[in-house]
Amino acid sequence: MRVVIAEDAAMMREGLVRLLTDRGFEVSAAVADADALRAAVAADEPDAAVIDIRMPPTHTDEGLRAAIDIRRDHPGVGVLVFSQYVETRYATRLLADRPAGVGYLLKDRVADVADFVDALTRVASGGTALDPEVVGHLMRAGQETAGLASLTPREREVLALMAEGRSNAGIAAALVITPGVVEKHVANIFAKLGLPPSDSANRRVLAVLRHVGGSGKFG
Amino acid sequence: MTALRAPFTTLALRQTVFCALGVVSALAVLTVPAVVPAAAVLVLWAAGVLAGDSAPVVGPVFLVLIPLTLALLVVLATPIGRATGAAHRFLADRLLGVQVDAPPPRPSKRVGALVTDGPGWRAVGYAALKVPLAVPEGYGAFCYVFGVVNLSYPVWWPLFRNHPPGTSLGPVWGLTPFGTIGTRTFAGTFLIAAAGLAMLLVAPWLMRAGTALDVAAMRRLLGPRRLAERLRELQVTRARAIDDAAAMMRRLERDLHDGAQIRLTTLAMNLGMATEKLGADGPPPDLAQARELVALAHRGAKEALADLRDLVRGIHPPVLDNGLGDALATLATGSAIPVAVSVELPARPAPAIETIAYFCAAELLANAAKHSRASRIVLGVAGTGEHLTVAVEDDGDGGADPAGPGLSGLAGRIAVVDGRMRVHSPAGGPTRVEIELPTHV
Repeated sequence: MRVVIAEDAAMMREGLVRLLTDRGFEVSAAVADADALRAAVAADEPDAAVIDIRMPPTHTDEGLRAAIDIRRDHPGVGVLVFSQYVETRYATRLLADRPAGVGYLLKDRVADVADFVDALTRVASGGTALDPEVVGHLMRAGQETAGLASLTPREREVLALMAEGRSNAGIAAALVITPGVVEKHVANIFAKLGLPPSDSANRRVLAVLRHVGGSGKFG
Repeated sequence: MTALRAPFTTLALRQTVFCALGVVSALAVLTVPAVVPAAAVLVLWAAGVLAGDSAPVVGPVFLVLIPLTLALLVVLATPIGRATGAAHRFLADRLLGVQVDAPPPRPSKRVGALVTDGPGWRAVGYAALKVPLAVPEGYGAFCYVFGVVNLSYPVWWPLFRNHPPGTSLGPVWGLTPFGTIGTRTFAGTFLIAAAGLAMLLVAPWLMRAGTALDVAAMRRLLGPRRLAERLRELQVTRARAIDDAAAMMRRLERDLHDGAQIRLTTLAMNLGMATEKLGADGPPPDLAQARELVALAHRGAKEALADLRDLVRGIHPPVLDNGLGDALATLATGSAIPVAVSVELPARPAPAIETIAYFCAAELLANAAKHSRASRIVLGVAGTGEHLTVAVEDDGDGGADPAGPGLSGLAGRIAVVDGRMRVHSPAGGPTRVEIELPTHV
């Protein structure tokens, strides 16, 4: 699996190259700013791009804007945006057109190598990876209006993991329960929230996010 | 004795120069109202009235040009007033050793601000007042100069009045405030000299009276005294304090984001990889790589600590808790140019003032190291119960610009606590920067 890395801090960039190479990814380019990233992706479409949000010259949201451009111009490239803090509005902008092949994670998540690699793999193969922090924000924000109160604590956990973009198997592994139990929870959640049942993880994420995030935000 | 010595001090000389220049500026002020009649004459001349063949356009041209001249005078009054005020403040500083603080600068560059410029109009008032003030000053300067001249008559008389006997000569005149004294004899010159001595003895007191009135007028009209201006100054410095605090937080966030946070994230990542290399249980699958990663993480942790230490020192150097003396001594040891430190304070200032004094000293030392090419620096802190002065002097090239971004920024930051900065840095050096702060906020 081929990956491009865009990160301005050299230490972090080298660390990521090492980590991903070690895990069998092929790092086709490791760059330090958004323009170099666009060029690298255009020159040789990778399976995924790992993108830092704050990069030179302004250190604000260069990475995010590049990520949105790449999603528009190269739909086949999975985009994993990461940053030292998460902003719900950034997630909204990223997921605006379609929640497929996209991820938004805190940089801290690289400490759990397996989880990080799992998220990147998911994004590269067209899935979703949303940081639990973002999902938590959205769920807290949607608590009043979305009727989340009717869910059991377990069902909320499952809902949060679904919103992160995990598959049933992933949810089962994270909660240490069997996939069958997960399926039952998922069916209950969809029924309680009045969502149409869906098998596709992406459509499921979209439905969940649309529900907790309020309609319109994730259109 | 003091009365006898008064004319022969350098102060008397400098006062004489100040008073003489006062007469010059009073004359200059008197010429300004003449601009209007002069303009009128010019208009009449241009219109051909003076030539005799009166044209019908005279009336309208006159009606337009005279108000225009008046308007121009009104608009230019405050900048000219400010300029003459600045010149007089400079003269008072150089010649009388009297410092009058500059009024706040004009708030905006618009033409309207010229007309509503309060300090500018007060400076115009001072210029007008300069005319009566110049009378005792001019009188004093006259007495001093002609006192010396008169006193010298007996000295040069024998040099020039050595004509052959029988030559018919006119009398020699000596000038006094009460008229002229004429003499044809050597003995008579002693009368003139006596008058000169009297004038010389009176002159310093006349000049002192004149300059005392002048300085009082300067303090009232050229300084930043009024309540409304004080209010505006406080508004400006408050806005500045808020901006500074916000900028400080942004810088802090940026430093943490680009420094310690990155290092710790990388460290966590390396430890995460090392954990995987060690395996969950049993013999580690890749011990060599795990060792390397742990070593990398160890180094990263030490770097993160060093980063944080620098950051903490930039926020508040812990040694400052022991007082300015210790803190500045520590600061001086970090300077590339040797620094001699002396701190003499009767009591400890408020903590906020100590912090400001410390960072001022740090910035001035850094400036000296960067720009002065000095070989040594003297850093002194001295004070009374109410004020303290941080003075940094180097033997470098000089030419430090108080209006440059560095020093003007520093002046702005200390203005928040009513601190004042003075910069003496002639081209060629040496440079001395003094910062005066209140000991309590």
